[in-house]
Formats: sequence, structure tokens, C-alpha cells
Amino acid sequence: MWIYEKTLQYPVKIRKPDPATAKLIVTQLGGPDGELGASMRYLNQRYSMPYREVTGMLTDIGTEELAHLEMIGAIVAQLTRNLSIEEIKKSGFDAYFADHTTGVYPVAASGVPFDMKYIGVKGDAIADLNEDLAAEQKARVTYDNLIRLIDDPDVCDPIRYLREREVVHYQRFAEPKHTT
Amino acid sequence: MNEQQKLYRRIQVCSFVLQETALYLDSHPFCRQALRYYQKHRRLREELIEQYESRYGQLTIYGGGASGSWHWVTEPFPWEV
Repeated sequence: MWIYEKTLQYPVKIRKPDPATAKLIVTQLGGPDGELGASMRYLNQRYSMPYREVTGMLTDIGTEELAHLEMIGAIVAQLTRNLSIEEIKKSGFDAYFADHTTGVYPVAASGVPFDMKYIGVKGDAIADLNEDLAAEQKARVTYDNLIRLIDDPDVCDPIRYLREREVVHYQRFAEPKHTT
Repeated sequence: MNEQQKLYRRIQVCSFVLQETALYLDSHPFCRQALRYYQKHRRLREELIEQYESRYGQLTIYGGGASGSWHWVTEPFPWEV
């Protein structure tokens, strides 16, 4: 089961609200290669994994991804505070605002809501581990793209941390792949 | 940073050390060096959490009730600015 700890895994302190940036960042919550997909993928794959080392890894990385989706939610919430209607219209945030106000709703940068079809659980150790390696790289690329698009260092700092975690997760998943 | 923020930061850092070590131990469950490193930081984290919870409120639903109010909802959530 899960215990919630009232800390963020890494600090999130965004000084300047910016809804246009929020529209991009939210993709790591509800997008095809985001943290929600990652946590669902790993936490569900672990039941059919025949090696306890890998089950442990899927449990622990899956849990860490939940901590990451919390960080993304925190970034989006902080970026969308104290907005004027002017700012909402000018930034293109108005469509999202119409449906969700400044609530945090898992969508991709395109506005498409999260879909469990983004994840694979094949019930086979080799297929699932390879899926996980690909997933970590796709997440890393998404973070690369966000870093290219966003200038605010308050936002880029936690994003860079999350990107580095994807690289580490990739290396972790690569180990059992060699031994199986 | 005030005292509370400093202690909170130390807990964040220590928890991260344990997370990383746990991931390593998942694929190296018999590595004595990693286990010793883990144990040292596990003890440190327990002390830090005890200090934090006794002064500033609970960090999990299992850490509360000492001061006569339910800090879980009277203290901020971690994403609040």
C-alpha cells in the first residue's frame, strides 16, 4: 500500500505565474510519456514479473513516478495562480480554463486527456522491460523539449531534476535486462 | 532559510539518498557496502523526521496527534507557495 509523505521529492518554488508554460508542463502529467503513464505502467507490470528484483524495482520506480507527478502538479498549480482574464486569453490558456478553471487536469500539451492506451503491460518480462526502457527515453526527450521551450529558471530547475531521474531509471531498468 | 525549512531540506536530501540506494539494492540485494550506506542514512532520516514531527507537525498520517491538534490539515501542503 502507499503512505503519503508531506514533502515534495525536490523543491518547486515558481515565483512568476505563466499559464502558457503551464500548458506545456502539464504534458508530463497527462501526456503520452508523462509521469502518470509511467507510474501506471510500472505499478501494473510488477504483478506478472517473475523476478523479485525487478518487481522491487517496478514498485520503487513506480512509486517515485507518483512523487514526480505530484511535482508536475505543483508546478502547474503554481504557474496558474493569481491570473487575470487578460493573461488567460493572451496565453491560449482560455480553452483549458473553460473546462477546468485553474484545476490541475491530466492532459497532454495538445489538450488530449490522459489515456491508459499510452502504457503497455504485456505480462512478459522481456517485453515489459523493453517497454520500460523506451518509456524512460521518451520521457527524457519530452523533458529535453520542455527545457528547450521554457526560459524561467524556477521552472527549468525541477524539470532538469526530473529529466536526470529518467536517465537514472533507464540505467536501472537496463541492469535486469542484461541478467535476464 | 529558517530552521524548519533547513530541517525539511535535510529530510528531502536524506530521503533521496535512500531512494537511490533502494533502487541500487533492488538489483544488488547482497551488496554489503550498499547495505551499510543504506543503514547509516536510514538512521539519520529517522532522527530528522522525529525532530521535524515533534516541532513542526506530522509528515505522514502515522506521525501525528502529539500536540493536541491534527497538524495534517492545519499545516500547509508541500505545493503551497
